[in-house]
Parts: sequence; structure tokens; C-alpha cells
Amino acid sequence: MRQKNQKKRKVPLQLLYGLLFIMSSGAIAQQTPVTVDSALLDRVNVLEGQVASQKLGEEHFMVVGLTTFGFVSNKTTTTFSGSGQVSKTNKIIDGDSYEFSPMLLWRHGNKFLLEFEPSFAGDGLGVNWADITYFAAPGLMLRAGYIVLPFGSYDKRLGAGWINKLATDPDGVAGFSDYGIEAQGGFHAGDMKLSYDVAVSGSPSLQQDGTLSSVGLSPSNNHKTLTARIGWLPLSNSSLEFGISGMTGKVGDPGSGFENAKTNMYAFDLNCVQNIKPFQVNLKGQYSVVDVSNVDYINPVDSSIYNFNNHTTASYLMLAIRPMFSDNKVIKNFELAARFAHYETPANSLTGAKDNSFSVGLNYWLSWRTVVRWSYEAIRANSTVSSALGGNPGEINQSNSMFLQFSIQL
Amino acid sequence: MKTFYNKKTTIITLAGAVFTSLIIFNSCISEKAAAKSGVELWSENCQRCHNTPSPSTFSPEQWETIGMHMQTRALLTDNEKNKIVEFLKQ
Repeated sequence: MRQKNQKKRKVPLQLLYGLLFIMSSGAIAQQTPVTVDSALLDRVNVLEGQVASQKLGEEHFMVVGLTTFGFVSNKTTTTFSGSGQVSKTNKIIDGDSYEFSPMLLWRHGNKFLLEFEPSFAGDGLGVNWADITYFAAPGLMLRAGYIVLPFGSYDKRLGAGWINKLATDPDGVAGFSDYGIEAQGGFHAGDMKLSYDVAVSGSPSLQQDGTLSSVGLSPSNNHKTLTARIGWLPLSNSSLEFGISGMTGKVGDPGSGFENAKTNMYAFDLNCVQNIKPFQVNLKGQYSVVDVSNVDYINPVDSSIYNFNNHTTASYLMLAIRPMFSDNKVIKNFELAARFAHYETPANSLTGAKDNSFSVGLNYWLSWRTVVRWSYEAIRANSTVSSALGGNPGEINQSNSMFLQFSIQL
Repeated sequence: MKTFYNKKTTIITLAGAVFTSLIIFNSCISEKAAAKSGVELWSENCQRCHNTPSPSTFSPEQWETIGMHMQTRALLTDNEKNKIVEFLKQ
């Protein structure tokens, strides 16, 4: 009986032990995730991140881009042999004051990036770039497609409306875009940094007036051009950069009469950004030379043959000052910019001129990528077109423009 | 054939020299440059061309994509790009 009772007692005790075991196991199970599961979760998160970075998906596709629009008022005075002529225009839509360029970026994993930027501007619809980049190794990116060639630094880095400090681009510094392949990268050399950018591409096209034209999306010749730029950032804070670049290749289209014409170009660029509190000071510049071999051209006036020294130079120097570190929330968003540019096209050619321009602008930054600007630009162009070509050598065009512009990057 | 062989050899030699140079140069980063934080690199490099972007502008995933795009424009080193993107993702 006693044994029976003891037996009977054993059952609840076993149950109690069992319950205690289960509860203690549960307690352990509840405690252990803090150590075991967090490590596991970390690992899972890492793996999920790796999987997410490799798989295709909407997350890796994004649309950014920019738009610029505004108003321009221009007065041009043409003076030749003592007589003058004045013309005035007021425009809302203009090549210098309107642009809509969405940019599509698609990242495939961490090794591939597709970039496509169509652009609708005052001069029509075009494509700025359409390429794929392969991040091959540290300091080595390989790109193929329709690319901006690495001649100078303005086109690739500074030309966008929301980056530019003034309403217009300096004349003559625009580079070339073409189909090609490119290798580029940056690396340290002690405290300094170096960058390189080399491209083999299709060739610009020599026009009947002696100018070189970026062929756009329809190549007109099968020539190849080699373009390269080396950048040197001597200071450890990357605030100063010197660039040297060059381009060489044949430029004559088949059947044009100058199939063997070649071009040699070189450019120097400068970029300096210093924070001298409360100001940020920006100094940027570029000097470029374009030489095309001497060929015979046809005079549009009498169909005779003529030639000229096809040598073009373009340069600009831009200074901008912004009290970025001011405590005043309004004043810190203002930025004053000024630019001097010189552009000299071949004398005795159909486009011969010596242009000197001065621009000044006042920007107000609504955000880091949104700006409202007022800008004034004066250009004095002295014609060097030969009279034999129907030109008026010595004719002076004085152009004064005022811009009101809004630009945003989205 | 001989010309082709010479061209091929030259190209391979040049490519080898470029890769070797890259490896050497990439190992030449100074302690000062290597120790820079993401926020330092963000403030130094972005302002070379434009205003420094606000981290809240894009999502972390989008910053990865933007980081790759900007690396091709500013020719940032991998170390710089990674640190800047990590800072912007926070």
C-alpha cells in the first residue's frame, strides 16, 4: 500500500521533473539564441546580402538623371567696316537653357554596371552614353559601348547642368563620344593618387569646312582613334588634380577626298577645390589643342581648292566661391562664379574666329543637387574667315546674354 | 607571321606590365591614406566635381549602384568607393 502510494507519488514527481526539464530546456532555448542565433542570423544576413547582390531584380535598377530649363535674353551686335547691326532674342527653350536627360543605371551584382543616358536638349534628341562596365580588379574597370572619350575632364565630369557653375559650357572644350572600349582606374601612390583612362574608339569625322564632328550614333568611317588621359592628385586630400590627355587617329570619311587626314589633340586640365572656411573655393580650367593634317578643301563660293592651317585652341578658367561654412542658412547656399574662355578656330577657314568670353553667375543651391542661377555672358568674336570664302575678316560679333536657369539632378 | 608574333608578344608584355604596375601601385597606399574614414573620403572626393550628397538621398541598395557609377566617373579606388558607400548607407 505504501509502495503503491510511493508509486503513485513517483508519477507526479516524474512529471514535475519532466516539466522542470522542459522548462529549463525552454529557458536554455530562450537564452541561447542571444549567443548562437545572433551569430547565425549575422551569417544568414551576410549570405542574404550576397545572394541579393547577385540576383537580378528591381532593386538593382534605378533611374536618375537631370533636367535644366530656363530663360535666355540675348543681344548681338555685328560690326564690320564701321556699320553695325543689332539683333535681340528672348527665348525660354534654348540649347543652353534646356535639357532633359534621364539616366538609367542597372547594376548586375558587384561586377557589372550598365549606364544609359538619352538626352533631349534644345538641339534635339541624342544619347550621351550607353555602355557596360566590368569591374575587373582593383584599379581596373573595363567599359564597352557608346562612351564619352577621355579627352580633357569637362565632358565627363563637369558639363552637367546641376554641376556646372554657369549657364553655358565654355566654347570649344566639348569632347567626343563614340563607340569603343575603355580601360580606366585609380590607385594610390603613397599619399598621392593617380588615375588613367584609355579608350580605343571610332573616329570623329572631318567635315567639308575643316571642323571635326563627333559622328553620333551613325559611324561614318571605319577609322580607329586612341584617346588617353592621366590624372595626378598630388595632395592626400584629393583637393588638387592635374590631367593630361591626348587623342590621335585618322578622321577622313570614305569618299570625302581626305581619307588619310589625321588628327592629333592634347589637353591639360586643372581642378582645385579648397575649403578656406567659411568659403569653399573652386578653380577649374582646361587648355586644349586640336591639329588636323593639311588637306585640300573646296571653296563653296567658286569651287576652287583652298587650304589652311587646321589648328584650333580652346581654353577656360573658372573660379567659384561659396560661403558654404557660414552659420547663416541662407547665405551659405549662395555661390558666385566667374569664367574666362578663349576659343580660336583656324584662320582663313570657313569657321575662322577668335572668341573671348567672360561669364559671371550667381547660384542659389536649394539642395546639394538643385540650383537656381542667374548668369551673364559676354562673347566677343573676331572673324578670321577669308574674304575669298565669302567671309568678312575683321567682322566683330559682340554677344551679350542673360540667363535665368533651374537645374536639378533626380 | 613573325610580325604577328611580335605584336602578340608586345601586347602580352604590355598587359603584363600594366597588371604588375597596378598590383604594385595598389600596394603603395600610405598609412595616412589607408586610415581615412568613409566620411572623410566622402567630403574630399565628391566635392571635386559637385556638392557632397546627402546620405538620405538614396536607399542603401541604390547607393551601391551610385557608388559604382561614380567610381567610373571620378576614378575612385576600390577602397575609397567602398568606404564612401558604407558611410552613405548608414
